[in-house]
This record gives sequence, structure tokens and C-alpha cells, in this order.
Amino acid sequence: MKNRKMNKIISVIAVAAMAMSMVAGCGSSSSSTASTDTKAETEAAADETTEEATEAADTEAAADETASSDEAATPRNETVYFAGQQWGAVNNYNPMSSNSNCWAMSQAGNCREMMYESLFMYNCLDGSVSGLLGDSYSWNDDKTVMTVTLKQDAHFSDGSAFNSADVVATWNAHKEYNSPTGASYTLYIDSIEAVDDYTVNINALLDDQGRAVNPLQIETYITAIFQMSDEYLQVVADRNNGDADAIKEDRMEDAVHSGPYSPYYASEQKLIFVRDDNYWGQSDSMWGSLPVPKYLAHVIYKDNAAGQTALQAGEVDACQQFITDVQKLWLEDGLSISTWLDEAPYGLCLSMPTIWFNCERNGLDQTAVRKAIAMATDFSQIAASAMSGQTYTFDEMPRCVANPTDAERKYIDFDQLTDLQFSGNDVDGAIALLDEAGIVDTDGDGIREYNGENLKYQAECPSGWSDWNATLEIIAAAGQKIGIDITTYFPEAASFYDDLTTCNFDIGMWTPTGAEISGLWARSAAYFSEDYAALEVNWSGNFGHYMNDEADALVKSIPYMTSDEELKEAYTTLSKIYLEEVPSFSAMYRPQAFFAANESVWTNYPAQSNSETCNIPPLVLTDGAGIEALYHLQLVEE
Amino acid sequence: MKNTLNQVFHAPKFLIGFIIFVGLMGFCLIYPFFTDKDPLEMYGNGNFFPPGTYVNQEEVTLDSGYTLNIERSAATKIASALGDNEVKGMLTYFDLTGVDYSEIDTTDKVALVELWEANYSDDYSNIKTTTSNKKLFTRIQKLVVEAQKDQGVIIAEKNEETGELEQTDKLVGTEYSNVNKLSSVITFVLGTDNFGRDVLTELVSATKASFRIGLLAGCIATTIGLLLGLLAGYVGGVVDNIITFVTNLFTVIPSFVILILISYSVGDSARGIMVVGIIIGCTSWPWTTRSVRSQVISLRNRDHVNLSKLSGHSMMRIILTDILPYIASYVVMALILQISSGILAEAQLSMIGLGPATTKQATLGLMMQWATTYFAHLNGSWWSYFPVVITIALMTFSMNLMNQGLDQVFNPQLRD
Repeated sequence: MKNRKMNKIISVIAVAAMAMSMVAGCGSSSSSTASTDTKAETEAAADETTEEATEAADTEAAADETASSDEAATPRNETVYFAGQQWGAVNNYNPMSSNSNCWAMSQAGNCREMMYESLFMYNCLDGSVSGLLGDSYSWNDDKTVMTVTLKQDAHFSDGSAFNSADVVATWNAHKEYNSPTGASYTLYIDSIEAVDDYTVNINALLDDQGRAVNPLQIETYITAIFQMSDEYLQVVADRNNGDADAIKEDRMEDAVHSGPYSPYYASEQKLIFVRDDNYWGQSDSMWGSLPVPKYLAHVIYKDNAAGQTALQAGEVDACQQFITDVQKLWLEDGLSISTWLDEAPYGLCLSMPTIWFNCERNGLDQTAVRKAIAMATDFSQIAASAMSGQTYTFDEMPRCVANPTDAERKYIDFDQLTDLQFSGNDVDGAIALLDEAGIVDTDGDGIREYNGENLKYQAECPSGWSDWNATLEIIAAAGQKIGIDITTYFPEAASFYDDLTTCNFDIGMWTPTGAEISGLWARSAAYFSEDYAALEVNWSGNFGHYMNDEADALVKSIPYMTSDEELKEAYTTLSKIYLEEVPSFSAMYRPQAFFAANESVWTNYPAQSNSETCNIPPLVLTDGAGIEALYHLQLVEE
Repeated sequence: MKNTLNQVFHAPKFLIGFIIFVGLMGFCLIYPFFTDKDPLEMYGNGNFFPPGTYVNQEEVTLDSGYTLNIERSAATKIASALGDNEVKGMLTYFDLTGVDYSEIDTTDKVALVELWEANYSDDYSNIKTTTSNKKLFTRIQKLVVEAQKDQGVIIAEKNEETGELEQTDKLVGTEYSNVNKLSSVITFVLGTDNFGRDVLTELVSATKASFRIGLLAGCIATTIGLLLGLLAGYVGGVVDNIITFVTNLFTVIPSFVILILISYSVGDSARGIMVVGIIIGCTSWPWTTRSVRSQVISLRNRDHVNLSKLSGHSMMRIILTDILPYIASYVVMALILQISSGILAEAQLSMIGLGPATTKQATLGLMMQWATTYFAHLNGSWWSYFPVVITIALMTFSMNLMNQGLDQVFNPQLRD
């Protein structure tokens, strides 16, 4: 009896101790997060650094760690913190690598221009192309040679001048080492040669008829591929004994680059770039000044929730993450957070996540089945719940092959498409369509059959991509209503990529090319190109192997069309085929990059209502013409 | 038997657990009679609509209504339009533009609005502040203008012929609708989830599904555990060695890992309630086997068992009549714990996306998974996950209480 009494007393003491420690823990964290003034954030950043140092000390030598933790502690009012772009330690800083995850430096239409730079920048707001390392470009009459003149002020981080030899060396390196990003352009570019120190000719690869294979891809090349230093490429080649595989995986920590920021600190917890105060772009021929923040830092968060929490606490300034009901952050929580637009869709919707049907599967090879699924899908539900309202609806922006920008939509004659549009959630219409096509349920199990087999499909996308996962659930629910058994399947991303690129799926979700210089053509090719379908492993498009010779021929002929009327007719015809045949259908319009900014430390971010920054695309201060935002940032408290 | 039941229901812990459990299950059984909502139907066109009663605005507008001599005063309109954030925004604006507000009471929204109207200008070029603040000022101005309107709301219809809008009615501040007279009134007691589904209806359906999974898993695990435990304990020798070896194997490998592997390999389309229940049941029997085995070993050399053996009774009869009744209470307790852990296992599986399909069945784990995926915990949508957590806690807590109560009755060491 005495023992039991003692036990009770001890247990009460233990519970009280635990409760007090929890209260103490919560108390300290809330006090550091609730405050949004600069001083508190500096302290928070210092705390964070201390934490990192403590964790890393277990694995690394203490002396090294002391040095690196000093580096990691950058002044808050000189640092812009990012979230949502870096999800692990940096593999390398090598633009030729297949695995360069450094700040996700993808070399696509809007490449990240912080460390390396492309020749030109694409502005997805107005479709304009402006010079970066390049000054201007022009085509010869038959579009077989593009002449590019270079900025004479440009130089690399080691002070060496940037000139034609570097442009040539960059191309030769991609070609020689067969890099994953650059080498794909060997299908379109024959060679790049120097005309003089500041002029290069890009010679297009010619087809049997003596025409350039695809001039649009060369225009993409000049806005997508980072230019590297000829001398530095030689250094890298020498230290790897010319071994292509070794060169492609060289870490390039000592990289000579032309961009305004250099790598400064990298660990498992944080990545920091520091401004190169000798950056060439401060000359009047480019920006006229240095970018405002001295440091760009990216804390590596565990997941979206951690990143969002940090954004709300003011520890992150620029956040590229999907945030459910983002407007609540300012409407209800009263936080100084803003997005490109103050009202839905909040971001700049440029890309079109698409549902791809595998046209080789039983049933999905039938237009009626594909169209019925698209018709029954509740798009307004996808817009409102899966996308949390951060999209245009298809009533606002009718479906076609163009994205919702005027730059692309001017090529579509919507009057011709009015009768072909499907608004969604039309279950009766979808059922009638299937019944009419003779695709009915004959064995009474509630599932329709085609060729004696049940219409049973898996809808697939990577796990954890929340808005996509929810979208596929809504499509699966639509399938149930019309007698098609669709179940969702969310494998790991790598496994999904294998399935998608080898046509080993039933229904898949993926985004074709977004807004870039030849985005409309590239997207049309992604929907219809029979060449892509013929590839064994295909990352480019037509994942479901839809074959339509008329559409394929149009896609092939568009790069040579010059008049707007001709282009309008072609893209309108493609849109008709797209709506009639439904080889795939867009599920939503989505921002090219989600972007929410916390203005407790920095302000003057890109916003449509801000006259100073309204022509800077809201691409998280880093991508394509969006890099200009870094030159307009201001401190809230100066 | 009557005496045993009497004892059981007089054990306070069992009684409390039983009441909670029966209450929960009773509610789940009765609730469907009072609603025609479908647990999987997406009612809300958006994420996480808060709990409350939703009135159809079209019906209210067209309703002939009642005129009450209670007008929404300007002060009421202002008070409902401007929240704390807006008041804070006004003060920030005054600070930035050098407006002196020391004379007025900052909790008096009407006075604030007067000062705001006297000083606001939509030209922000001379104000050095953040974009979010400028957007806030614009929003406040819009709200102030809306709240000040006293001309009522004009209802107009489009003339089919001319295409022009023609006024058909006008709503003024003294017109009211009687909620009881409206037909399109929908109550979402616990709001909606990220898909717009009614959380309460979904929760009831999910609780039943989770209980079915738990019950199935519990029965399977207890049956396997009991059979193997009885055999190993009573027969002994090689049979005992083999069964113990297999049981130890399963005990060493964490059962949740096996659970994940099996769930993954059966594929998404096969994972219904039955399959998930069977998988959980087939992976959670080892501890029952071990405990039953040890109990049987202590029983098998008792006098009455030896007597049975001498009388030439068959092994089956000895097990059924001389051993099973002595461990029956223990088996019931094990079953209750197995059901409870089966419910938890389903929640864990669904949380990592290996439960039943979202579009076919609501389960507690799936509700938690989607609430987390859409950051309900970060944006304050407590109704989408908190009731689920409470339900899981109540179910497992009540069963554990019942188990403890039974233990108090049947375990001689714990008897008072």
C-alpha cells in the first residue's frame, strides 16, 4: 500500500515536470516567432546557427565547424532568406551535371541567373527577350544562322573578360561531354563559331531540304543555357584528365562564373551565396548597380510545413511553396505577407499541369473514354479545393494549347473553339457519350467494359505533391460516377518518372513546357509530337503515345511559319484537335513558381500593383528576367 | 456468468470505458438516420469551410422577408466590417502619414473611420512602407466605403430582349429573413475538409470503417495468436520450438515494417477495408501467441488437466474444456487491445498513404492525412483534424479502460 502511494506521488511529480518542460519549450519558441522586428529575427537567425553548429559538431571536426558556423551567421538585414527551392545538401555547382541540385539551377526557359548567366533573359509577362551576357541577336533570312553580339563589359568572377571564345567553349563542352541539358540541343545546333571577340554565329543543323531543323529551339538555347568560362573549363578538363563522366560530376566549388552571386557556405542545413562586388553587371550597359542583398540564404527545411512556418515567423523572405489558403496569412493572421496579386489567383499562372492518357491502354485508346473522363471531372472543385483558388477557372480562361497569357493567346481564335469546350462536372453528358459509343457495363459490376475488359485505371503522380494528389482524387471520384474505376497511385518521384517517361502508366499527371520563348510551340509538340512518342525514354512530351499525323505535321511545320495569321490558324487547328480528341487535358492553370514574400525585413518585391516592380515576373527573385527583383529590394527599416 | 458480468460492470474503469465506447458507437449508428449527406460528396467548393450554418444567398435575396424596425446602424456595419487587422492597419497609416490620433479612442471604430475618411488618399507615393501595407490600406478603404453605403442593395435582372439590367427589387437595412422559413439551410457542424466534404458525416463513416478494420484485424490476430499459443503451450516439444522460433522471428522484425511492405505490395486498388484489416491482423498476432503460450504452459500441469489426460480425453477436448476457459478472460482482454491497436495501425498506414482509397472510403487515418497535406494545422482549420484525433483517442482510450477494468476483475493479483 505504501509503495502504491509512493508510486502515485512520483508519477504526479514526473507528469508535472514534463508539463513544465513543455510549457517552457513552447514559451521560448513562441516568444521568438511572434516578434517580427529585425532585432528579434537577427537573434532567431543566430539561434538557428547555434543549433546547426551543435548538430553538425557531432559529425564533423569541432575546429572546422566553428569556422563554418561563423560563415553561416550572416547579418539579417543583408540577407534574403528563401524556402522551397533547395531540399538537400548541394551535390555540385556544375551546369553540365545531371545531378546539380544547387538552388535547382535548371537550364530551362527561365533559368536561375544568380551564379551563372545565360545570354538572354525571357520575360514571361510581356514575352520580351532582353540581353544579359548577350547584347542582341538576329537571324539570317532563311533562319539557318543566328548572329549574337555579346556585352563588351561582361567579365567573369576571376576578372577575365567574357567573349566569343567562352560561348563557343560552353557549346563544345556540352556537346563533347554529352551533358544532359546542353547536349539535347545537338539535334538543332550544328556549331557555334566566333566571328570576332564579341560576335558569334550559331549555325542551325539543317534537314534534308536545307532548312534549320527547328529555329525555335535555338531561341530557347540562348535563354536557357548558362555560359561558362573557356579557361575554367580547361582547368576542369585537366584535373579530370579529360574524362567526360568525371568532368560532368566535378563539384566546381571553385567555379569561375559571370553571375552576381558566388557560393559562400553550404551544409546539410543551409546554403548561402554571397554577392560578388566586382560583378560586371553594375556597369551601365546592364543593371547600373549591384543587387541589393549581400547574401542569399536558403535554409534546408524538412518539408513544406517547416518552410511555411518559417515564412509566417519572418525567418523566410521569399517562399516558393504551395500554401493552402495563402490569403488567410494576411486577411486573418494579419501578417505582412504578400503575393503577386492581392486577389485569387494570387500568383502568375503560366503553366498547365496536364492529365495524360496512355493511348495504348485498352479503352484509353478510345476518344469517347478519354473525353468522358475529362467531361466528368469537376474542374471548379480542382480549382477551389485542390488548388485552393490559386488558379484561373476554365470559364475565365477557356482551354486550348496556349497558356493564360496574352503573349500566347493572341495565336488562338477562340470563336472557333466555343462549341468544343467542356466545362467539367458534366456526368450526364459523359455517360451519354460512353453509352453512345457502345462502351457499357454488361456484367453488372458497375464498371463499363471495352473489348470484354473492365475500364480500370490507375491515376499516377509523385507522392507528397499535395495539389496534384488531390486533383487525381477528384478525377478518380469523377471516374466512379461514370462507371470507370480509377484509383490513385502516388509512388516516389523517381519511380513515377520511370513510369511516365517509358509510357508505363494509365493516367499520369505532368506539366508540359511553361512560359518561355518558344513555349507555345514546345507545349504543342509535347501534346502531339510523334517523334517524342517514338523515343525509348521520353522526357519531352506525348507521354501517352497519341498518334495523329495531321497534328504532328502541323507541329513540324510551325517553326518555319513567319506570319501571325498562319500561326494563328495552325495553333487554332491544334487546339481543335486537342479538344475533340482529348489526348490529354489540362487540369488547372498553375503559377510557374509559387511565390509569397514576407515583408518584415525586405520590401518592394514584384507585385502587379507596384508600379516599380510590375514588369518583373514574380519568379522568386531568381529566375529569368525575375532576377531584376533583387535590384529593387528595399529594407523595411533603414 | 451473471456474477462475472455483475463484477465486470461494477469495475469503474470498465464501466467508464464501456460508456464512452458505446456512446461513440451509438452516435455513429444513429447519426445516419438524421442526415442524408454522403460522406464522400464534395459539398464545399474550396478548402476547410468553418463549422456553421450555411444559408443560400439566392434564396435570402428572393425571399419576401420581414421588415423589422431594427436597422443595421452605421456603427454595426463598421464594427462587423473592420477587424483587428484593419484597425491596426489604420493606425499604421496614421503613423506613416503623421496623422495625430491621440485625441480619439482607438477602440472606437466609428471615430477611427471618420479620421480615416478625413485623411485617406490612394496616392501612396509619399509613404515609405511595404507592399503588403499598401494593399492593406486599399482593402481598408474598400471596406470603409462598403460599410458606409446606405442606399441598400439593388437586385436587377437582365432583360432578355435588350440585354440591359432592370431593377426588380431593393434590399434595405431593415429587411430580414426568418431562417426557419428558408429551405436551403445546411449545417456543417464540423465544417468541411480540404475536398469540401462534410467533416462530421465523414467522421462518422470513418469511425465505423476504422472500427471495422480494427475488429477484423483484432479477431484475426487473436485467432492466430490463440491457436498458435495453445498448440505451442500444450503440445510443447518440436511444435513449441517451431512456433516459438517463428513468433520470435516476427517479434524481432518490427511489425509496422512488415505492415508497410505488405500494404505496398498488394497495390492501391486492392486495399479496401477488408484487405487492410486482414493485413493488420496477419502482422500483429505474435505477442498474443507468446502470452497465451506462457499461460498454457502454467496450466498444462495442473491436476485437473492431468486428470483429464488420465481419463483418456482427446487433446482437443482438453484444450477446449480444461484450458481455454481458464484463459478466456485473458483472450477477451487481448482481443480488446488488438482491436485498439488495429485502429491505430490503420491510422498510421493511412497517414503515410497506404490505407484504403480516398475516393472509396473515409477512414480516420485518411482524414488526418489530407488535413496534414493541406496544412490544416498551420492555417487554423482545427475542425478537420482535431475531432479525428479526439475520436481515435476516445476509441483507444475507452478500450484500454475496458481492458484495465477486466484486468482488475480477472487478475487475482490486482483484486482489491
